[in-house]
Amino acid sequence: MKLQDYLRFRRIKNKTFAKLLNISPVSLSRYISGERFPEKKILIKIHNLSEGLVSPNDFCLQDDKNYDVNESQKIELKKFHQHILSGSRKHLGKVITLIESSREKDQITSEKLLELFKGNDKSIRIGITGVPGVGKSTFIESFGMKLIRKGFKVAVLAVDPSSRFSGGSILGDKTRMEKLSVNKNAFIRPSPSSGHLGGVAKRTSESILCLEEAGFNIIFVETMGVGQAETEVYDMVDIFLVLLLPAGGDELQGIKKGIIEMADLIIVNKADGELKKSAEITQREYKNASHITNKSRINEDIGVMICSSLNQSGFENVWKYILKFIDIRKKNNAFINERNLQKINRMWGLVDLKVKGFVKNLSSRKFVQELLKNVKINNLSMYRAVKMISNYIIKK
Amino acid sequence: MSKINIKDWINSAEKELKEKKLEELFWETPEGIKVKPLYTEDDIKQLNHEIGLPGLPPYTRGPRATMYANRPWTIRQYAGFSTAEESNKFYKEGLKNGVMGLSVAFDLATHRGYDSDHQRVVADVGNAGVAIDSVEDMNKLFDGIPLEKMSVSMTMNGAVIPVLACFIASGLNQGCPIEKLTGTIQNDILKEFMVRNTFIFPPEPSMRIVADIIEFTSKKMPKFNSISISGYHMQEAGANQVQELAYTLADGKEYLEAALKRGLDIDDFAPRLSFFWSIGMNFFMEIAKMRAARFMWSEIVKKFNPKNSRSLALRTHCQTSGVSLMEQDAYNNIVRTTVEAMAAVLGGTQSLHTNSFDEALALPTTFSARIARNTQLILSEETGITNVIDPLAGSYYLESLTSSMVVEANKLISEIDDVGGMVKAIEMGIPKMRIEESSAKRQAKVDSEEQIIVGVNKYKPTQKQDINILSIDNDKVRKKQISALNELKKSRDNKIVDEYIEKISEVARGNGNLLEICVEAAKNFCTVGEMTGAMEKVFGRHTLSSKTISGVYGKNVKSNEKISSVNTHIQNFIDRKGRRPRMLVVKMGQDGHDRGAKLIATAFADLGFDIDVGPLFQTPDEAAKQAIENDVHIIGVSTLAAGHKTLVPLLIKALKNNDADGIKVICGGVIPPQDYSDLYKLGVSKVFGPGTNIPEAAIEIMDIL
Repeated sequence: MKLQDYLRFRRIKNKTFAKLLNISPVSLSRYISGERFPEKKILIKIHNLSEGLVSPNDFCLQDDKNYDVNESQKIELKKFHQHILSGSRKHLGKVITLIESSREKDQITSEKLLELFKGNDKSIRIGITGVPGVGKSTFIESFGMKLIRKGFKVAVLAVDPSSRFSGGSILGDKTRMEKLSVNKNAFIRPSPSSGHLGGVAKRTSESILCLEEAGFNIIFVETMGVGQAETEVYDMVDIFLVLLLPAGGDELQGIKKGIIEMADLIIVNKADGELKKSAEITQREYKNASHITNKSRINEDIGVMICSSLNQSGFENVWKYILKFIDIRKKNNAFINERNLQKINRMWGLVDLKVKGFVKNLSSRKFVQELLKNVKINNLSMYRAVKMISNYIIKK
Repeated sequence: MSKINIKDWINSAEKELKEKKLEELFWETPEGIKVKPLYTEDDIKQLNHEIGLPGLPPYTRGPRATMYANRPWTIRQYAGFSTAEESNKFYKEGLKNGVMGLSVAFDLATHRGYDSDHQRVVADVGNAGVAIDSVEDMNKLFDGIPLEKMSVSMTMNGAVIPVLACFIASGLNQGCPIEKLTGTIQNDILKEFMVRNTFIFPPEPSMRIVADIIEFTSKKMPKFNSISISGYHMQEAGANQVQELAYTLADGKEYLEAALKRGLDIDDFAPRLSFFWSIGMNFFMEIAKMRAARFMWSEIVKKFNPKNSRSLALRTHCQTSGVSLMEQDAYNNIVRTTVEAMAAVLGGTQSLHTNSFDEALALPTTFSARIARNTQLILSEETGITNVIDPLAGSYYLESLTSSMVVEANKLISEIDDVGGMVKAIEMGIPKMRIEESSAKRQAKVDSEEQIIVGVNKYKPTQKQDINILSIDNDKVRKKQISALNELKKSRDNKIVDEYIEKISEVARGNGNLLEICVEAAKNFCTVGEMTGAMEKVFGRHTLSSKTISGVYGKNVKSNEKISSVNTHIQNFIDRKGRRPRMLVVKMGQDGHDRGAKLIATAFADLGFDIDVGPLFQTPDEAAKQAIENDVHIIGVSTLAAGHKTLVPLLIKALKNNDADGIKVICGGVIPPQDYSDLYKLGVSKVFGPGTNIPEAAIEIMDIL
């Protein structure tokens, strides 16, 4: 960190800091402006006083020019933000692309844009999971249309798996959300699971913020129900729904136990025709089972409901449950506390991503390749190489 | 005669082959059937089917005792030309020149039960067939053609009730007694859910409609085929012959059960069920398929204990394969059609449609239609093929192949039985998925030049020849239809119309016969759209939720320079743009043939693209909205039914209106070459015809981006 940035961040006056260093304020301002280079003793002192945030390198190396925006870029960003506020689909589509992009430039632009967002707590973020074939998309189609009729603006974010072989993907969600996809009060964006480091799913929370900024007040986040994305999604929504098939036990469902335990509301889907009976049985089984386990986050038994997209039945109950859930959580401040906690978690998540990205880029460095070569031919022990690389990272 | 010893042959064959091994001469068909280079009497000692005699159960050798020796097959050319008047002219021309039965193609708006003035069908009226809005259009269609004598086949599945009602009303208008009407209505809704997608209502009410029609015709129209159980569209969608055979028979079984549940006697309707096969280039396999089908059907029906042996006989119509037609080197299609027609005839078809060579480009012209017709006349009158009944019976190879087909198809049928029948299997998406896999596999083989198509992936022509084709002014047709509709709505008694519409809904809610009430409604000038609407109010309109398969194309395409060039292109793209190329594959308008779109989607995803798939029946505005939300780089428009001339300009306009003209548009499918330049002028970046090599197309697309 640059010394100037540090002082601003800690709100330390130049005079005070100069005193601590035992130098004149004029010398300090020369160091800051780069006119003079501090001597070794001073450098070490600054390093220690700033808890290591300001290191000697910060005096030698140039600023991260990429990260600064000039005036004209600022105006562009403001315009972009205005477009999003006015609900422009095109700009909303573009900003999600920027968020998901693997290009550093796009990342920075999206971050600068997100910094302008005012944010609000009026929306409801609903996570939905369930195994393939459980009918998540048709559920969202019917439920979403119902909410639109109630006057809401509905957005859907979904992550479809990328092929491990080709890297490509089929993003087919709109075929299953035919009515919702053409409604002017709806926005549906499926994303491929690969893409940005560690998966696009990690960036979905940023996309949520964009949709909220554009005035969408119901945000569905759909996930596969079989992998690890569930915890990630759980950490970005206000309420987490698990969809089940009208069939017995977890094993038959093919859904992981841990996922059921995360549910705020369990919904047995496809309760129509011949399956209605078996849906009711499943409902009963899960009601009994959830009695035994924990109470829900609103200190009641976990809700278990049945639902049919075909007959359009059960949705009103689901909606009432969601409203009650949010209401209780808002009254005892759990809602806002959770969102704040999620924000902090997200921050750490992004730190994690940055570090991973940095490490990933390392492998293309010449000295790392040299290291690898030596490790391979036993010229260098693995542990020594680890030490060298981690030292390098720490210094960075 | 000395006894043969197969070992002697093996010895001499191996001598001829020198270094090569005998096993290298074995061939595995796309169905996984192993074909040997030589068949002998040993191969027909144990067959899984009975050969028998023609005209007698199990009818393997044909449903009639004398077959073509007495009367050749019916030359029945499928056609529909935008307006009733135009089509009428074409039919009369055909009848003068050797055609023996009519076959009506309807436009897409009619198929989906929309009147020509409906907002969703702007690009569909008059495309791919004739627009029928009411009994009046039907009257014009058959003007001067006595329905008492003419057998009429109608390809109609979605709006089957209103269209058949208009046909009956029109016949009655001509003074033809209802029991004398002859012909066939396709009425095969199950395959619509599987492949062709021109359904309207959900599966359950759709099956009730099928039963209503079987019931009505079995009682009142004894000479009319109530259903044409079709494998054709399955093969067109990429099914292999075993799948076509198995799924069609499984559909047939489902219809039998639906009619029996209605309380009909098997012998009342089973003799009036007919079949419809596609005949492709796999010559012997097609003949074997037709013979296996007759044997298997008789076995299936036998289980329902019919008393009339005619209930066991499978009668069929055939059409040469449309997907085998290529845009490149299009005159080759005449030869393909000839070979296919010959297979249909040797397989013992009852009637035949031969495709015109230009159908990979557009609707047939008078010239191309004449050649197609003559192909059949030449086979029938010049070759002597008709003189002997089922001439290939007893052939070591053919009988053995027939037997293998029976075994393989029965395996697929049991898979369907195991899940509880075809309706269940369709709900679970089983047949659709299997067919899509076959389709992707075949394309991969063609793209990697393992399967040869002359003029397409081998022996390519150096020069492009110009072919004259028919073009239709869809807008003019639509306006004409709309003004006729307005005229009709002014002149008819609208009070009676409203009463009938209410009655139709009532019958739909209850247990009455929908065809019966709709015949009355049609007589009183209710339109196709109104009758459909009345039923839709009760049944709802079905929407398709389909998954696109992935991985099959990638696994079957051999890696070569093209594939690795695609990879490099994509990697460069990611470095430049921060993500993979993203393409939205759309089908706009009412055309439900989605084989092409699905194939493109799955193959491009396997090549490393991110692919968005749009719902069927989209409007240009809807497609633009989706493209913008998903921020795709490119929209791939798949089109088969000439809708491109109206829909693509609207799509490009919609993108411009939303300030999104940065999104490129490409088109693929059946597009007449003379439309290419118009499309390019509009701003379309690239047009791909049928038979395009997919990796090559991918590289071209990446160059555009």
